[in-house]
Amino acid sequence: MKRKPLTVTAVATLLLAAMLVVLAGCGSSSSNSTSSSTTLTVFAAASLNKVFPQIASAFEQSNPGVAFAFNFAGTDTLTTQIEQGAPADVFAGASAKYGDELSGKGLIDEPRIFATNRLVLIVPAANPAHITSLQDLTKPRVKLVVGDATVPIGAYTRKALRNLDALYGPGYSAKIARNVVSEALDVTSILTSVSLGEADAGFVYVTDARSASGKVRSIDLPPQAQAVASYPIAVVDGAGNAAVGQEFTSFVMGAKAQAILRAAGFGPPPK
Amino acid sequence: MQPPTPEAIHEPDAAGPAGEVASSGGSPLPELPQREPSARHGRAASVRRRSARRAPVGFVPLAAVGLAFLALPLAGLVVRTPWRQLPTDLAAPGVLTALRLSLVCSLTAVAVSCVIGVPLAWLLARVPFRGRSVARALVILPMVLPPVVGGVALLLAFGRHGLIGQWLDRAFGITLPFSTAGAVMAETFVAMPFLVITVEAGLRSLGQRYEDAAATLGAGRWTTFRRVTLPLIAPALGAGAALCWARALGEFGATITFAGNLPGRTQTMPLAVYVALQNNSGAAMSLSLVMLVVSLAVLVALRGHWFRSR
Repeated sequence: MKRKPLTVTAVATLLLAAMLVVLAGCGSSSSNSTSSSTTLTVFAAASLNKVFPQIASAFEQSNPGVAFAFNFAGTDTLTTQIEQGAPADVFAGASAKYGDELSGKGLIDEPRIFATNRLVLIVPAANPAHITSLQDLTKPRVKLVVGDATVPIGAYTRKALRNLDALYGPGYSAKIARNVVSEALDVTSILTSVSLGEADAGFVYVTDARSASGKVRSIDLPPQAQAVASYPIAVVDGAGNAAVGQEFTSFVMGAKAQAILRAAGFGPPPK
Repeated sequence: MQPPTPEAIHEPDAAGPAGEVASSGGSPLPELPQREPSARHGRAASVRRRSARRAPVGFVPLAAVGLAFLALPLAGLVVRTPWRQLPTDLAAPGVLTALRLSLVCSLTAVAVSCVIGVPLAWLLARVPFRGRSVARALVILPMVLPPVVGGVALLLAFGRHGLIGQWLDRAFGITLPFSTAGAVMAETFVAMPFLVITVEAGLRSLGQRYEDAAATLGAGRWTTFRRVTLPLIAPALGAGAALCWARALGEFGATITFAGNLPGRTQTMPLAVYVALQNNSGAAMSLSLVMLVVSLAVLVALRGHWFRSR
C-alpha cells in the first residue's frame, strides 16, 4: 500500500498550491484598509456589478476609511436574503417591485429610484444563428436565453415580449417561447452565455451589452416595445452602518455618481 | 475446509487472528476465541463479548454538538414545512415535472456511471498500469472540485467552442449545453467518482483468489467477471450506485452552469427548489422535504453496507 499515500499527497499538494496562488492574487488586488475603516455591505442587482464598484471608488475618495463589500445577485435572491435576515447595509435592486416589497415589510427605508435601464437583444459577435432583427428570433433552432420570471430581467423581458405581440402579431411570443433554452437566475448569466457563444441570443440590459461590447452585438428593441427598468436604492433597516449607508445613498443620487451611471448607459431617474 | 462466507470476504480484518481486533483500541482486552469458518453466529457473539469502551474526556459533548449541528437543520425543515399546504405545493405545475426530470436524469447518470465506471474501477484495482496513481487522482478530482467549476470545465470541453464540443457541433450538429443530455453529463461528472471509488475498494478487499481460481478452472475473462467477480462485489456496486445516485440527484452548480435552467428539459429538483425559494418559500420547503425523504430512503438502503459493524 505504499503508492496510495503518494497519490493523496499529490492531490493535496496540488490543491494547496492552487489555493495559495489564488489567495496571493486576491491579496494583492484588494485594498488593505485597516484600523478605523468601516466596511459598507451593499446588496446590489447583478446588472450593477460593473458600475457600482466605480461609484464606490469615487465615494472612497471623498470618504477615506470606508471600504465596500458587494453582494451581486438577482434582485429576487437579494430580497429573499434580506427577508431571511442577511446583514446588509444598503439595498440596490433592479426592480421597484422588490423595493416596495421590502419597504412594505419594514425591512428597508423608503426606497428612491436612482437610475433606469432599458432592454436590448444581444447576439454573439460571430452571430452563429445570423440574427439581425427581432423577427429572426422566431427562426427554428435558435438558442435564446431569457431571465427567469422572478428575476427583474425576466419580468421585463416578458413585458417587452407582450408589447412586441401587439406590434408583430399575437403568435410572436409563442414562437419565441419555443426557442428558449434556459431561464437564467440573473442577467450576468445571460450575458456570459451569449458572450461565450453557447447561446445564440439573449435579452439583457443596454448597460450589460455596453460592458461586453467586444464580444456581443446589440439589436435594439422598437421604442414602443421597451420595458423600462427602475432601480431603487435604500438603507436596510437596522443596518450596522446606517449613517454611512445614508451618505452612500445620497452620494448615488448626487451629480458625481449620476455621471458615472450615465457613462455606463443607465438612464436618469424620473423627476 | 469450507470457503469463507460472503460476509467474511468483505471484512478481511475481522477474519484475522483475534489479536488484531484487540490491538485497534489500544486498551487491554480479554483473549477473544478464534473465529470459526461459518462466521455468522461467531461474529455476533464476539461483538457482545467485546467490553464497552470509555470515551476520552470531552468526546461526548463534542460528539453531541456535532450530532445536533447535523440534526437541527433537518429538524427545522421537518417542523417548519407548511404541512397543510404540502399537497397543493406538490401539485403545482412545475413540481412533478422537476421531480420526474430529476429521477430520469439521475438514474441515467447512474447507468452511464456503471457502464464506464465499473471497468475503470476494475482497471484501477487489478492492473498496475503506468500512471495509475494519476488516473486515480483524476477520478477523485471531481469529488473535491466545486460543482460550478465542474460546470465551467464542462463548457470549455463540450460547449460550442469547447475542445470536443466544436467538433461535435460542426460534424454532427450536436450541441450539449442547454440540453437534457447536458444535465445528465453534468450529473455524471460529479457523481461517477463515488461509484468508481466504492467499487475499486470492494475489488481490492475481495482479492484475486477467486478470479485466479476461476481462471485455473478454465473460465474466460468475461465469464470470470460475470459469474465470479460481479456477484461478489454486488454489495459494493450497490452502495456505490446508491451514493452516485444521491449525488447526481442533488447536483446544482454544474447543472445550471452547463445545462441551464428550463422547466421540463433541464430544471431538476435542486434548481426548482432554488427558483421556488425566490418566489414562494412554502413550495421550496415542500420540495426540500421531498428531497430529504428521498435522501433518507437512500441512507436506509445503504445501511447494510455503509454502517455494517465498523
